[in-house]
Amino acid sequence: MPTPSSPPSAVRAVLARDKLGTFSLLHFSLTAATPLTVIAGGVVVMFAIAGQTGIPLGYVIIAVCLWLFSVGYTTMSRHITNAGAFYAFIARGIGRVPGVAAAWVAATAYCAMQISLYGLLGLTARSVLSRMGADVPWWGCALAAWLLIGLLGTRAVDINAKVLAVLLVVEIAVILLFSASNFVNAADGLPFGVLSPNQLGGEAAGAMLALAVTGFIGFESPTVYGEEAKDRRRTVARATVATVGILAFIYIFSSWSIITAVGEDGVVAAATDDPGLMFTLAGDQLGAPWATIGEVLLLTSVTAAALSFHNTTARYLFALGRERVAPAWLGRTSPRTSSPSAASITQTVISGLVLVTWVALDLDPLVHLFFYMSTSAGIGLLALIAACAIAVVVYFARDRRGESIWAARIAPALSVFALVWVLYLSVLHFHTLLGVEKGSTLPVLVPILFAGLAVLGAAWGAYLKRCRPEVYAGIGHGAKAALVTETAEPVGVAGGR
Amino acid sequence: MPDVPSTRLVYDALLITSLDDAYKPATGPRVTGLGIGAALLAELVLSQHLAVWTAKGVDRVCLDERYRPPEDSLALWLAEHVRAERTSLAVRDWLDFLAAADVYTKTAEHMAMHGFMVRREYRSRWLKRVEVGFEPSDPLIANAVFARLRRHLSISERAIAVEDAFLLALTEAVGLSKPLYHQLPSGARVYAGKRRQALPAALRALLAHLAAAVADIAITGGR
Repeated sequence: MPTPSSPPSAVRAVLARDKLGTFSLLHFSLTAATPLTVIAGGVVVMFAIAGQTGIPLGYVIIAVCLWLFSVGYTTMSRHITNAGAFYAFIARGIGRVPGVAAAWVAATAYCAMQISLYGLLGLTARSVLSRMGADVPWWGCALAAWLLIGLLGTRAVDINAKVLAVLLVVEIAVILLFSASNFVNAADGLPFGVLSPNQLGGEAAGAMLALAVTGFIGFESPTVYGEEAKDRRRTVARATVATVGILAFIYIFSSWSIITAVGEDGVVAAATDDPGLMFTLAGDQLGAPWATIGEVLLLTSVTAAALSFHNTTARYLFALGRERVAPAWLGRTSPRTSSPSAASITQTVISGLVLVTWVALDLDPLVHLFFYMSTSAGIGLLALIAACAIAVVVYFARDRRGESIWAARIAPALSVFALVWVLYLSVLHFHTLLGVEKGSTLPVLVPILFAGLAVLGAAWGAYLKRCRPEVYAGIGHGAKAALVTETAEPVGVAGGR
Repeated sequence: MPDVPSTRLVYDALLITSLDDAYKPATGPRVTGLGIGAALLAELVLSQHLAVWTAKGVDRVCLDERYRPPEDSLALWLAEHVRAERTSLAVRDWLDFLAAADVYTKTAEHMAMHGFMVRREYRSRWLKRVEVGFEPSDPLIANAVFARLRRHLSISERAIAVEDAFLLALTEAVGLSKPLYHQLPSGARVYAGKRRQALPAALRALLAHLAAAVADIAITGGR
């Protein structure tokens, strides 16, 4: 061990210079989330469709579930490669075959989530342009955004991160301003009743929780940078928990503020009549220009969200390509920008095809594209997080690997119970959020679709195990799959020709 | 002009990664640094100055038992860094260090000393500062390595130097597989795969770490 008087290592000094602190990781995870889209696009819709005022409480429940989950998740991330991808945790915890099944579900859910945002994006852009006197169809705006995101997706992610960071700061400032204004202009004092557990009863509670989960997606990203963190043990955990905490505060604060401004009794009707309720309130309280500012920011926020989900999906496809679980060409990078270009272009093509199909069939962008696809993706992502929680429990059940009982056993077990319960309620009440009758085909189709994907993925995993063991060995290792498949033979002391 | 030395792995890696032409793009700065760094490590492994060994599942770099200081200043710079470390560092740490320590400029300056590259200074009006760049002294030198590799692939040459087999795999690892295999027969990838498998285990380990580092940049954005 080096003594205090020993000369410092030049190599370690250079490597330490590049390490990331908690704030840097927080920056990456918060830019992956886009709060204004969740508040103005999701919360108001939840009031309208779920018909419930217990949304702030729903966010409290999901935040607690994800906090419990994060404890075990960040602990396990210290012990595995490819941390950050949920399927990698499942592959290492439960097994590679379930890992491939999870990878298929994950790629589809992220892809669907990204495509769904084009519906909201098209409508918001049309609304903003109509204020300026231009009449453009929603699909024209959506296709323009699709082209922009497709181009940005193949550029260096550095550029994207800077754009997202600026948008995020402005977004949060505006949300806090609007929310504070709502509290100042309370209709009937502070409605503490909406925080009562009774508010979460009925047929819509589960569906609302599923949609609430989607607002937190991105919280898992600090683990991606685990190897580059200053202190892998503490930095990643702090950033992940801080992300959940900050997002929870924003969502609870702003959703509660909307109820406060409109009144507990009238908020559902107001949200049903006016999907732009948040901006209408801001316009009434702060002046008309603020409504326009809010709408423009919603447009940039949805664009940022679509870009963020585009990058996440592309990275998933890229990692699967590197592992050769998916076609190997998906693992190609752009030489100039080092971005996962093939995977990014694939995601662009898929989303373009869905958009064109929706336009050709004249389907509704808000209901059929945004609502249906995002809630369906929410169910898939919730199932993925629940499966990941189980994987953490199984991983540490064999060996605690020097971790505390709380981090390796208690918190993961609690998170499994909580997340499986939320998933059960979500599937049970899914028809409510889709706005169809109980017993209809559509709410049943979505879980069946994800279950079918998981079965197909598992079958593919079993095939790889039997016929391509070298590929099977690399499952769950993502970018580092080459290390498993290429260095299967011990290096030893080697150097000769 | 000094005597022109025989071609070197690290020079070839620089020419492949950092110089673009009509059909081959240059790689991004960080990937270029990783590629040149991997080539420099491989060169020292082949010359028996360094060795790669596995301990507790981690590939580490250490001095070779037969170590004698390299005569070349670039190789000596890295070898002395390895010697200065009290404990052996992982291959990935060395790759990251070399990329961060601007191994590109060090190698390019070295090549300029030997007449392969020309150092040029550009005055940037916007940034109001002088920027240094390197250009090949002869365009033929710049293209020779890539052309040689493609020639190996097109005729599936039976016996190729271990350095060229390494460079084939390095070119793929840094993301240049598309221009490398452009319009070549489908058997070219199989041929390159076999050559890679025939490399010494230490070089294969270096290549695997290089591929993983490049993939990590794609996932994390090189932040």
